[in-house]
Order: sequence, then structure tokens, then C-alpha cells
Amino acid sequence: MSATRQARALVISALIASLALTGVYLAAGGASYVPAKTQDPCKHRPWRNPQGIEEIVEQFSFSALDGAACELGVSRERLARALATPRSRERFMQRYGIDDTELARALRAGLVRAVDDAEAAGALSPLLAGPLRETVRRVPADQAIELIHDARALLDNVQRFLEPARGLLEQFLPGLSP
Amino acid sequence: MSSVPRPRVAALALAVGLVLADSSIVVLALPQIYRDLDTSVAGVTWVLVSFNLVMALVAVPAAHLARRVGPGRATAVGLAVFAGAGIACGLSSELSTLIAARCVQALGGAAAVTAVLELLPTTVGSERRAVTIWAIAGATGAALGPAVGGLLTELVSWQSIFLVQAPLALVAGVPVLAVARHEAATGVLATELRRTGRPHLLANVALAMVSAAIAAALFLLVLLLIEGWRLTPIGAAVVVSVTPLAALLGARLEPEAVSARARAAAGAILISGGLGALALLPKAEVALTLPPQLLVGIGLSLVLSALTETALSGRAPQAIHGGWTISARHAGVAIGLIALTPLFTSDIAQQRRDAVDAGTAVVLDSRVSPLLKLDLSRRIDERLESERGRVPTIGPAFEPLPEDPADRASVLRLRSELQDQLDRGATHAFSPSFGLGALLGLLALVPIGLARRVDL
Repeated sequence: MSATRQARALVISALIASLALTGVYLAAGGASYVPAKTQDPCKHRPWRNPQGIEEIVEQFSFSALDGAACELGVSRERLARALATPRSRERFMQRYGIDDTELARALRAGLVRAVDDAEAAGALSPLLAGPLRETVRRVPADQAIELIHDARALLDNVQRFLEPARGLLEQFLPGLSP
Repeated sequence: MSSVPRPRVAALALAVGLVLADSSIVVLALPQIYRDLDTSVAGVTWVLVSFNLVMALVAVPAAHLARRVGPGRATAVGLAVFAGAGIACGLSSELSTLIAARCVQALGGAAAVTAVLELLPTTVGSERRAVTIWAIAGATGAALGPAVGGLLTELVSWQSIFLVQAPLALVAGVPVLAVARHEAATGVLATELRRTGRPHLLANVALAMVSAAIAAALFLLVLLLIEGWRLTPIGAAVVVSVTPLAALLGARLEPEAVSARARAAAGAILISGGLGALALLPKAEVALTLPPQLLVGIGLSLVLSALTETALSGRAPQAIHGGWTISARHAGVAIGLIALTPLFTSDIAQQRRDAVDAGTAVVLDSRVSPLLKLDLSRRIDERLESERGRVPTIGPAFEPLPEDPADRASVLRLRSELQDQLDRGATHAFSPSFGLGALLGLLALVPIGLARRVDL
């Protein structure tokens, strides 16, 4: 084989090997990865199956996280990790330049949104939503975090408050009925 | 051949191999240095960039100096400076002093490696043979560097990489002392001062572009393996050894009858193909990096030897033109690192945030109990914090596993999903940089194609 043909064969072999390998990797899904996107916390997320205390407590937490995250301009997931411990909260506030007042305001806004969403989903009677909304607008930051983590106490208190009117409970709080 | 002083040839080859290994030897130690010296990925890259940048800037002036003061003296002094600066690197406890010592190391290294090319022809009796020995020694050093560095980092420490070089540099310098003494005593230089011809511009430009692509391949792959996929330095050293092994294989298979231009073009295409495949890794799996490395290694042996031969062929003096090839190669590596580092550091940070958020979303949307979800969120956050920016092994965040069988199964599924998100995110973060490296390799085809008279 002449030197010219050898040279051509060498370059063509290199080209075929390169195209074959990249083609195989492409076919195996090499370009298909798209990072899973988290949802925009400012967009309303409909409550799924708001029946039973566990479901309501969880959906309430998520709505509150969404509302607070929307106020702070972060994702719900980032805020959930940030509120896990006092240390993680400190780190989060430092990283995003948020002070105590801003955080407290955002958390309260989140709780108000949770009450709104619960009412809209039919898990909370409009008669109770009003007073609850007023209550969560005044809670301090630490208590707001507790409520986001577990709103069971708040909803239990509502239940105890309504104990004398047990007959009306099902009508006002259909999701909390035993 | 019997009159060739083998110890001196071996010492000169050792000197070249040692210096050129230094452009890549710390690659596998960078993650350890990054943690020990408490710096950023961008900061630690300068341990590599500074050496290559100084080599690129001083290689040609060092070659001129070597011809003026005598190549024996230049080699001896260069190796002594290289050894001393190596000790300073090993004793550095701050990034700034380490980078400064690396710059001094490059000064000594540039003087030694270019002066050796002036000494070798008189030692072996043939200019062509001298170029071959010089090129093989350099390629062997550069190819073995990362694996040796990885082994030393894991078995001893990153500091040992530099400390080990000092005695080796001194050993390489001993046989040169006789030449240096002779030059000092007689004032006669080993080679006559000849007029310097113009460097082969296209071959050197192509060398720079290909070197940038190779730097991308090596540096990014090591970071992907250690920082992205959490391999140990020894594990990563074993994996990236495929590239030098493939280069050795390529050197044996290299068709001598084929023109340098065709070998250079084939080499550049293979490097681009390998980098393109690394940019398209379908999974976070070590085995998938092996075929691309095979292409990069074979391409590397083809293109470097062809372009170096072209740049030096028929040109005199050899030290100056050797200096130009050293300068082009190291400039390429430095430019490649400077250009790619910001791209992949921002990508990896963003990908990590996205992957962790996506993973947390998986946890929050799962069917495990609300309190367990919040507890998992807390543990994931703690795990991320403890890994300090590295892509974490998320497993420990899920331990102890819940006792309830249903929760346990859900948590195990969550753990696997979250780790998959993190691994794929880390792999994907490197794709644009590998892609840019592939593009650089392809662009090298332009000067190679234009160099119509490069055939040997």
C-alpha cells in the first residue's frame, strides 16, 4: 500500500472509531440527561386527597413551605433542609443574606398560604380559616417553624376549641373528622 | 553505540521525564490539596496552571540562556533549582507559597529540559536520535505522572510527590556535573552558537491546541472520578492509567511510512472523539471511561510525536526549537485549564444544587411519614455540609433505616433515587467542559491541515 493510501486509511480509521464511539454513547442516552427540576414554589399546587389528619398535616406543611419559599425566592426543597435544625437555619440565613425579621415574615406568609390552600381544598371550613389566618399572622418564627414541621398541634387546638360544638365539627373541619 | 555514555543518557532522560511529569503529576493530588489547604477548586487549579504557565513563558528564553552559559551548567543549575523548589512545595502549608514554589520549580525545569536537548546530540552522537530520546522521555514522564502522583498521594501524602522529586533530580544532575565543570574550566560551550531559525508556527499552534484538549481530558477526568464519583486517588490512578497505556500501544502501532501530517490529523481526531464520548457518558460508570481513554491515548501518541518531529525537523539549534515545543505544549495546558475551570466549577456547583433539590423533592413527595421526611431532610443537609462541596455519598444520611418494613423499603428506594440524581448531576456537570476539549482537538486540525509542508 502506498504511503498516501496508508495516510488516508489512518485518518479514515480514526474518524470511524471516533464517530462510532460517540454514536454508541449518544444512542445509550448520553445526551438525554436533564436535571430534574423542582417546581416553582410561587405556583399553586393542588392538594392531593385532603382526607385524614396525616394527609392534611402534610399538605399544610408543604403549602406553608411553598409560601415561605416563594417569599424568600428559594426552592421549597432548599427551605425544607434549611428549617431542619437551628444550625442549618443559621447557615441558610447567612448564605442568602436573610435576617430574623425577613425569615419570620416569610414563614408567617407561608402559614397564611397554607390556611388559604386548606380552605380552598375543602379541608378547612371558611368559618375557621379566618381566625386561623389571624393566629398564624402573629406567631413568632420558632413557633412558625414548629407549625410548618407539624401542624397537628394547631389543628388539634382548633378541634379542642370546637369540642363544645362537636356536632358541628364535621361540617367545619371535614378532613379532621374521626 | 558502544561509545555512548549510557549513565549520562539515562540521567538526561530522567531529567526530562521528571520535569515533564511535573506538568501533570499533581493532578490526582489536587482534591487532597484542595481539602488540606482549605481552598477552592478554582484556586487549587493554579497549582497546575502556574507550573505550566511559567514553563510556557520561560522555555524559549531558558533555551537561549542554556546556549550562552553552556548546556551542562544550565542543566545542573536548573535541576538544583527544580529540586530545591520541589522541597519548598512539599513543605508548603498555604496555597500561595505552594504556587510560588511551583513557579520557581518551573523556572528550573525549563532551564534543565531545554538544555538537555542541547546536550543530548553531543552525548549520543546524532541529532535525530537525541530528539527521539528527548521526545520519548518527555512523553513517558507526562504519561506516568498522574498515576505516580495518585499512588504517592494515597500511600504517603500529596507532599511526598514533591519531596520524592528532589533526590531524583539530584541523581539526574550528577553525571551532568562533569560537563558543567568542563564548561566552567574551559569557557568553551558544548555547542557552537548558531543563528536561530524561525519556529514552525503551525506545528506549535497545533501542539498548543492539542495539549489544551489533553489537559482537559486528564484534569477533568480525574476530578470527575474523585470529586464526582468518589474514587480514591489510587482507584482514579488505576483508571486514568488507561490513557498512558493506550499511548504506549499507539507508539508501537504507529505507522512510520505515513506522513507526519496524517498522523497528526488522525491523532487530533481520536482525541476529539474520546473527549466527545466523555461528554456523552450515558451513566456514572467507570468502565464507560475506558473506551474514550483508549482513543485519547492512541491519539496523544500519534499527534504529539508527529507535531514534535515536525517542529524540530531540519531546524537548528535544537534547544531553541525544543523550547518552542515545550512552550507551546505548556501554554496549551495552561490555557486549557484557565478556560475550562470556570466553566466546570460553575457547572458542578449548579448541578449539585439542582441534584440535591431534585433529590429532596423526591423525599418530600414520597409516601413515607411526614416526620420521617423532615428528619431525612435534616440528615441530607448535614451530610451535604460535612462533604464540603464534594458530591456526597448520600447513604449515611439514610441510616439508621426505619424498622417498619414499608418505611424501610421506601427509604431504600429514596436513597437509590437521590444518589442517582447526584451521580448523574455530577457527570453531566463535566459534559460542557469535555465538549469544549473535543472542540479544541478538532480546531487543531486547522493548523495541521494548513501545514502542507510538514511531511517528513
